[in-house]
Amino acid sequence: MSSDPKSADPATISFTVQESSWTPRKEMTVLDRDIPRIDGPDKVTGRARYSHDMRLPNMVYARLVLAKTPRATVDEIDIAAAQQIEGVVHVGIQKNAGDELAYLGDDSVVAYVAAETPEAAKDAARAVRFMLSPKAPVVTREQSLDPEAPQITRRGNVRAGRGPRGADETEALLEKSAHQVRATYTLPIQHHVCLETHGCVVDFDAAAGEATVYASTQMVSGNAGMFAGLLGLDASKVRIVCQHMGGGFGSKFGPDLQGAIACTIAKATGRPVHLMLDRPQEFQMAGNRSGTHAEVALGCDADGKLTAAAGTIDKLGGVGNGSFPGFPYIYECPSAAQTRSVHTALDSNRAMRAPGHPQASFVMESAVDELAYAVGIGPLEMRMRNAPDDVWKRHLRVVAKEIGWAEHPHKTAPGTPGADGWTEGIGFGLATWRAGGSGGGRCDITIERDGSVISSCGVQDLGTGSRTYVAAIPAEELGLTIEDVTARIGDSALPPGVGSGGSVTTGSIAPVIKQAAHNARVEFEKRLSEITEVAPGGYVWENGSIRTEDGSFDVPFRDACSLLGNKAITASAGFDESNHLTAGGRLHGAQAARVRVDTVTGRVVVVDMVAIQDTGLPLNRLAVRSQINGGMIQALSYGLLEERIVDPELGLLLTDNLESYKIAGSREIGAIRSIIDDEDDRWSVTGMAEATSIPGHSAIANAIFNACGARLRSVPFTPDRVLDALAERA
Amino acid sequence: MEKFELLQPKGLREAVLALAEGDADRSTMVLAGGQDLLTEMKEHLAEPSLVVDISGLPQLAGIGEVKDGSIRLGANATIAQIAGHPRLRADLPILTEAADSIASPQIRSVATLGGNLNQRPRCWYYRNEEAFCLKKGGSVCYAAEGMNKYNAILGGGPSYIVHPSDMAPALIALDARVQLVGPDGDREVALADYYTLPSDGPMTSETVRANGEIVVDVIVPPQPQGLRSTYLKFKERESYDWALASVALAVVMDGGVVRHARMSLGGVAPKPWTVDVQGVLAGRPVNDETVAKVADLALDGAKALAHNGYKIPLTRGLIARAFQQLS
Ligand SMILES: Cc1cc2nc3c(=O)[nH]c(=O)nc-3n(C[C@H](O)[C@H](O)[C@H](O)COP(=O)(O)OP(=O)(O)OC[C@H]3O[C@@H](n4cnc5c(N)ncnc54)[C@H](O)[C@@H]3O)c2cc1C
Repeated sequence: MSSDPKSADPATISFTVQESSWTPRKEMTVLDRDIPRIDGPDKVTGRARYSHDMRLPNMVYARLVLAKTPRATVDEIDIAAAQQIEGVVHVGIQKNAGDELAYLGDDSVVAYVAAETPEAAKDAARAVRFMLSPKAPVVTREQSLDPEAPQITRRGNVRAGRGPRGADETEALLEKSAHQVRATYTLPIQHHVCLETHGCVVDFDAAAGEATVYASTQMVSGNAGMFAGLLGLDASKVRIVCQHMGGGFGSKFGPDLQGAIACTIAKATGRPVHLMLDRPQEFQMAGNRSGTHAEVALGCDADGKLTAAAGTIDKLGGVGNGSFPGFPYIYECPSAAQTRSVHTALDSNRAMRAPGHPQASFVMESAVDELAYAVGIGPLEMRMRNAPDDVWKRHLRVVAKEIGWAEHPHKTAPGTPGADGWTEGIGFGLATWRAGGSGGGRCDITIERDGSVISSCGVQDLGTGSRTYVAAIPAEELGLTIEDVTARIGDSALPPGVGSGGSVTTGSIAPVIKQAAHNARVEFEKRLSEITEVAPGGYVWENGSIRTEDGSFDVPFRDACSLLGNKAITASAGFDESNHLTAGGRLHGAQAARVRVDTVTGRVVVVDMVAIQDTGLPLNRLAVRSQINGGMIQALSYGLLEERIVDPELGLLLTDNLESYKIAGSREIGAIRSIIDDEDDRWSVTGMAEATSIPGHSAIANAIFNACGARLRSVPFTPDRVLDALAERA
Repeated sequence: MEKFELLQPKGLREAVLALAEGDADRSTMVLAGGQDLLTEMKEHLAEPSLVVDISGLPQLAGIGEVKDGSIRLGANATIAQIAGHPRLRADLPILTEAADSIASPQIRSVATLGGNLNQRPRCWYYRNEEAFCLKKGGSVCYAAEGMNKYNAILGGGPSYIVHPSDMAPALIALDARVQLVGPDGDREVALADYYTLPSDGPMTSETVRANGEIVVDVIVPPQPQGLRSTYLKFKERESYDWALASVALAVVMDGGVVRHARMSLGGVAPKPWTVDVQGVLAGRPVNDETVAKVADLALDGAKALAHNGYKIPLTRGLIARAFQQLS
């Protein structure tokens, strides 16, 4: 067959296009392997430039001025002294005399400054004088629920969710249950702790009517429209660039107030503006995972089968609604549990890696665990009897084997400490998430005549490895190595990516890249067919060469490219034509932890953690394991240490730095083992990173109980709480 | 940070004289490794007009033995140098264990002994510029009624800070003395007496050091034959953290009974909490009964605030552990 590529009939191409499918596992040469991230060397040598690192000619450094009082009236604000400081370019007032500060967070921003140097900006921020009349802080659940409490939001202090439905029937079921647990479980507010704080650099050219924004964002393409609105431009005139970003975990989707202020300063000064939060500001206004206060009841029959669930779960998301997906979470039984939002004068929670799920996991996995010991069948058997599907059961068997459950001496009752006060235990927890992706993403593939291959998509790399598969997927498709492909990402001028939330990035973008690469290959084969007379579809791309199946043509890829004539290959694809490459359905996951507890000091040492995760086709096994490791570490840190502490009387945020807001370090982390579920027979792609951060702390709490009989019903499991729980047991 | 003048003196005398010129309007401060002072300056907790950088003074450097068998630790010896000193590691593990437990490798490589002994409290109210607390010259200790999980169970009131130094209790258990040089001459003070309680006097300092005085070195006298020692520190976060409680213990056993015993506690009181255990232990064996007596003595008068009651059983447990380790 011979055809003129210039007048290629699109119908012919799309016919071939439909046949795209992921290469079978045995034939893969690039994917489904450990692929070191391609930007790793840039990151460890400091060559990678983050928004924080941007330095533009004539740039000013901006800084916010925050009040530290949750609720107050501004009596007076005076910026005259700040304006006098040498090097100060601009000072703006955000809250005028008479304005209210409604909560500790972005509403605490009273003013902002911009100066020639960061030091001058800092001095100027300090020189802004303001006087406040503080009001009662209302920063705890108890303060908010007090009948005398002032109203925190326009909707009131408590916002009830749906239900409870069938409360009476459920209560009857609970009463009839052979075993029931009624307990209060609490979780503190956790922070995202992005290594790179929130912020951006805005380069606005008013004369040209265009702007480039270097934003630390999880949604490069989507931010163009948002910043355009702030700058009064069309989205087409704003370019967002984020080549590397230092963590977001759900907290970096929009420009936020600091982005809006950066735009205001850019318009006022006509100069590029650098505005990044400092660490205390990050803790005060860049979001958090909501806290939880759950008073619940759970029942089961004599065999451990769950019978009914009830209770009230308060979501503590500050002025936000908080999140909690429900009780009994992923388990199944009639439930009359009700969730409600209890508002405090703190900044709103934001999405954070599996929003609500780590909280729901802790409440439910703890209650299930309490029943497991009450029934006397132990935590593994209890979960085997109640896991809603077979994948979870398979996962439980894997982690139980890996953690050494069969050999564990005390399965149905807590252990007793040895003479040295130490004792060991094992605990479990389950995870879930949805598989798949969402539409909107596109990818372009260009193959130049010199053999260069460029894979372009405006998606961002949060450190998760998307840049690497943007190169690896075309390499696999074209029989090349990853070094042969250049990945272009992190720029809204490229074909659009999707926002990286809900673990959808891989499921949304990988299929698009695969399809675009496939389309490029088909296009290439069409061109070759003019020379070889072998129709598209009759070519093998392998080891950097292209040959026809009949062996009549066999040339290195580069040489084949030189045959392309004067026109490079360009191909593109969107989600609609590639969504068959995305996995559907549900994600599972199970984790087990082995801990040692020192009953003398209350120290908990997590000696071993094991996770298994289903993930469809693992594009990059190293990156997948790295995500599972990260999920476990984040949950371990949450379980052992992390907690936002606000003085209830002063309203002062006491944990606004990394000394007092403690996150796990290397010595907190024992063996961490991540297992990719290769029995998942979905040969299609999905992200899975959120699922991995859900059950780790629950497994640790349950392991503490198994070790010593202390039931930790409040996160984190710090020595003081462990000692208290031990005392309660006695 | 406020603007300040930096002096890098050629000699100790110049440093002392410059420091002594400080007054209420023009405060002067010593800078060694800067791990605490620079943080305090950045957070406007300290705003000296003149900073005297003593890090280059040769008199303050080094670790070595002196004629009478004492060991001299220069004030500018870094925590890392102490931790890595082979002779100390062999003979006085209490010192290297304390040094090893401090902060992170990066900080230990710069932080000095003099700075460690003279560092300011870590109480999160003190460290928060917004809370004008007793320690800053205010009239309230916010920890007393506030979030006081990390605060004192012993010796507290009116301020409830805990002294943050790990080197201090360890050195006190060895009867160490500090040597100071000041405008009015030199003096030597037992390290145990160097620290003050809030109830003793000015709230804005934790030591008897006068303005203008510089700690030149710390002298560890010759220890009795057969001394065994340990520093047991319990941190909330093992990777790096301050002590929730710590026990510095040095004992000499003789035919199954105690001949010499010294103990000082960290993390529980506004100063290193030195307990005179010689009396209850001398001539007695180390067993559950005597260790319980020591713990009772150590925690005599302990008073829990709303959130730090756990420190009482914790400290008891650590005392028992420390004795187990040495016997
Ligand atoms: C993150 C972090 C964690 C830490 N963890 C611990 C810990 O676990 N345990 C612990 O014990 N410490 C800990 N530290 C404290 C640390 O050990 C001290 O900050 C350090 O030793 C101070 O030494 P420097 O040389 O840097 O002193 P500088 O910061 O230079 O000085 C500190 C103070 O001492 C005064 N000073 C210094 N030298 C002298 C002298 N020769 N004579 C008189 N006054 C002097 C200064 O004026 C200043 O007030 C930690 C510090 C940090 C930042």
